[in-house]
Amino acid sequence: MPKLRRVLCCLLIAVASNTWSAHSHAGEPDQLIQRGEYLAKAADCGACHTAPGGKPFAGGLAISSPVGTIYSTNITPSVNYGLGRYTEEQFARALRRGIRSDGANLYPAMPYTSYSIFTDADVQALYSYFMHAVVAVDAAGPSTDLPFPMNIRASMMGWNLLFLNKKPFESDPQQSEARNRGRYLVEGATHCSACHTPRGFLMQEQSNQAFAGGQVGAWYAPNITSDIDSGIGSWNQDELVKFLRGGDALGKAQAAGSMGEAVEHSFQYLTDADLNAIATFVRTVPAIHDPADQSSRFTFGTASSDLGVLRGRTGIRNDSGDPTGGELFQANCASCHAPFGQGSKDGYYPSLFSNSALGSRNPNNLIAAILNGVNRTTSKSQAYMPGFAGGPHDLAALSDQEVVLLGNYLLERYGHPGISVTAKQVAEVRRGGPSSSLVTLARLGVASAVGAAALIVALIVMRARKRNIRIA
Amino acid sequence: MATETNADVVIVGTGIVGCLIAQQMLDSGLSVLMLEAGPRVDRWRIVENFRNLPPGLRLHFDAPYPPKPWAPHMESYSDAAAAEYLQLEGPNARAYRQGYVRYAGGATRHWAGICWRLTPEDMRLKSLYGVARDWDLDYSALEPYYTRAEYAIGVCGPSDPALQWPPIRSKRYPMGPLPFGPGEQRFTDAAARLGLKNVPAAQARNSRIAYDGRPPCCGNNNCIPVCPIAAKYDAATALPKIEAKGGRILANAVAYRVETGQKNAIEAVHYFDSDKHSHRVIGKIFVLACNGIETPKLLLLSKDERNPKGVANSSDQVGRNMMDQPKLVAELILAEPMWTGVGPVQGSSIMQTSQGEFRSKHGGALFRFNNLARGAFGGVAAVRQGLVGKALDAEIRRLSACTAELTIEHELIPDPNNRLTLSNKKDWLGINKPNIYYDVGDYVRRSAKEYSVPLVRKLAAELGATDVQVSTEFTNSDHIMGGTIMGADSAASVVDIDCRAHDHHNLFLPGGGAMTTGGCGNSTLTMAALALKAADAIATQMKSS
Repeated sequence: MPKLRRVLCCLLIAVASNTWSAHSHAGEPDQLIQRGEYLAKAADCGACHTAPGGKPFAGGLAISSPVGTIYSTNITPSVNYGLGRYTEEQFARALRRGIRSDGANLYPAMPYTSYSIFTDADVQALYSYFMHAVVAVDAAGPSTDLPFPMNIRASMMGWNLLFLNKKPFESDPQQSEARNRGRYLVEGATHCSACHTPRGFLMQEQSNQAFAGGQVGAWYAPNITSDIDSGIGSWNQDELVKFLRGGDALGKAQAAGSMGEAVEHSFQYLTDADLNAIATFVRTVPAIHDPADQSSRFTFGTASSDLGVLRGRTGIRNDSGDPTGGELFQANCASCHAPFGQGSKDGYYPSLFSNSALGSRNPNNLIAAILNGVNRTTSKSQAYMPGFAGGPHDLAALSDQEVVLLGNYLLERYGHPGISVTAKQVAEVRRGGPSSSLVTLARLGVASAVGAAALIVALIVMRARKRNIRIA
Repeated sequence: MATETNADVVIVGTGIVGCLIAQQMLDSGLSVLMLEAGPRVDRWRIVENFRNLPPGLRLHFDAPYPPKPWAPHMESYSDAAAAEYLQLEGPNARAYRQGYVRYAGGATRHWAGICWRLTPEDMRLKSLYGVARDWDLDYSALEPYYTRAEYAIGVCGPSDPALQWPPIRSKRYPMGPLPFGPGEQRFTDAAARLGLKNVPAAQARNSRIAYDGRPPCCGNNNCIPVCPIAAKYDAATALPKIEAKGGRILANAVAYRVETGQKNAIEAVHYFDSDKHSHRVIGKIFVLACNGIETPKLLLLSKDERNPKGVANSSDQVGRNMMDQPKLVAELILAEPMWTGVGPVQGSSIMQTSQGEFRSKHGGALFRFNNLARGAFGGVAAVRQGLVGKALDAEIRRLSACTAELTIEHELIPDPNNRLTLSNKKDWLGINKPNIYYDVGDYVRRSAKEYSVPLVRKLAAELGATDVQVSTEFTNSDHIMGGTIMGADSAASVVDIDCRAHDHHNLFLPGGGAMTTGGCGNSTLTMAALALKAADAIATQMKSS
């Protein structure tokens, strides 16, 4: 009698909600649920737990990893297939400690290391939202079945012992309310460090390099510390808030890849106060300077063109033959980014000079943008650039060598002149980012401990969160 | 040297018609092989070809698409060059100089993207006005296919019925309209003062958002001869999608014979590769979607003992009734700048002038403000005046800003004497070139004299023109129609209402050739709708066989 059960459920929910409301800061249960929904957006749960075209939070998104495919789980309140049987305490353990209701460890594709600082009140709000406002989907997704030794979930226990924070979040009374709120969101829900902090030997976040930049799948999450040259020390509060809300900092940077999706699925929904809090905190992250950075990645290049020598040289009859970087630029890029690389006045088409992707010493974002394009939709607008990698929806099918020619032309003319692109880098980004030989290593017994290898791999998965890998 | 290949559905031609059918066949689980006479060339190479053109060739839309020896098409850069491939004769031979390119992706590579539908009246000229033929398919039967075609290729258009043409629709356009450029707006205002409505064109161009992976229009204003970013639909964008679904595309494969067998079913298509080697392709269903000239040419080339007048030609209508919209152009000089060229090359037309009781006496006409930027016109004209330095700059600016072009496209009715036959002249592969006799007829001439030219002069005056030159020789609109005309009567037409050949149950000839009449707007969306209708028929036929 599913109908009867639903009625009973509703009654229970009503009772339960009333009980909780007494403890929640939000007051009314509706507000509690709304706060949970907001937190779920801030934590970007849907990015992984909703498959493209699938029902919200029903899971089933295939996350391909170097060691096999991991499927996100159903986190709707379905009793048989989702969180329906989870108590709030079990929910909290999964969220903050990475432990399922049956006691098994989650793979850290689920960023529970960041979520570990969620307050009890916020966990309650999230629980309330997932149990009462998310529609139950009674369908099992595909199960994750990684090959040995990665299928030993218990191996996570050792790693958790070393690297999992178990302390609740503590505000610093010396700091402003906004900065404390910002730190809570950045280190917790929005899990910025998962991508922007480089990883150590065991793939743990290197706390002494916090926010100094890391490779995430095909894309590079750059240094966002307050360093003027290596980080975003040159950005003001408004620029950072606008970037988070819309994905664009005029004349500096545009969000693409995983950051574009973070804007699309998460940041655009946050309140001005929270975006400002995040910006307040991020702008005070201790500067980490890379001595190789002589100047900021937002300052390279100027408007220029070699049309004068290009036009008329090759004639009009060629439909084959090797192009030059300049020809590839004019034919593939200049129609939108303009013949002098200046983009459009309104910034919809970004300028290629004074652009993070071209000024960085790491050319991966330039390569990834060329191959994968940009597709970032907010409630205000859509930023769309087609890919050039030869996919069914791509505008062109540039070869690795053509991307090298184009990339080097762009870097020389509009970007960091000391940096170049190699065919090997292009091939790697085309594959979706650096690959791992961990399975082979583990199976050969080269790793000192098989479990450690499993951990490492699992953490690679965590870094290459679903939204990065979807691009691959 | 002959090799043999096969597929459930063999499609000759990779233009919009062939590609729409291929995609639907693949979605139905059928295997597809496409033959394309011309080369497959990356968009960016065409863009570079275009931008390297000397100014004098800028307006020759075929120039960035140099033909291969095995796949010639009309080259318009000089009269002598134009006479090489298409053999034209008759009073209006010049008006059938049809500009299509034999390249993978076909002529949509250089179309303007305009997507007018026919009106119900356009399809009933005989019963309403006593001229031409009625379609044996009515608008209500075609409407669902129009809608599907609009969604398949991504058409933007107004949601206000008062601005739609015709406002008889089952579903809104997939995207909202593009805004008018300043020149088009001035033309719209001038027309309104004369009681005429210049309406936004439905166009296969992405307005403000991406559609089917293609980006929104950024206003390069060179839709013709190539959209550099594929914001405008062209069939070249469909090719990788077809391949991703498992379709095979053979470029540089020139079909030259359709082979019939028992019960006059089509058995195979023969093609030459670029080394003149012959190959044979077998299949269950054959679709010829080579355009309104190449399809009848191929049918006539394929005559055999069972089909002495050519394949599908028991009616003797193959190659007859060749149609287009004969075009006249008014060149205006104005005292004030028009600021032509903001946005796509075309974006609107006066359509109401295509309809009326007058159609019993003469054809209707469409009036369009050409929004192609005037820089190339102005530059060439100023240089020809022998000016230099600042005077040259000033004159280029004046001519680019203070001139305009209005186009009239006339409705032409099918005439069996307007006929494509095989010329004795042969191309590089030894295949007969097409020969076409063309006379626009009194129906069009009367329209120009009594109706359209007087009206375009009024429009020019209302725009504030200080000088108006209206062309006197009709020219081509590149909307090739009629050569495999549709009808219920197999004695008077080539294909049935599903574009199936009356003579061969497994041969489909969809596209412009099947159109019974053409109205005043361009033919592409109707071709696309007919392609989807044929695709449904093919899928049904394959299921039942």
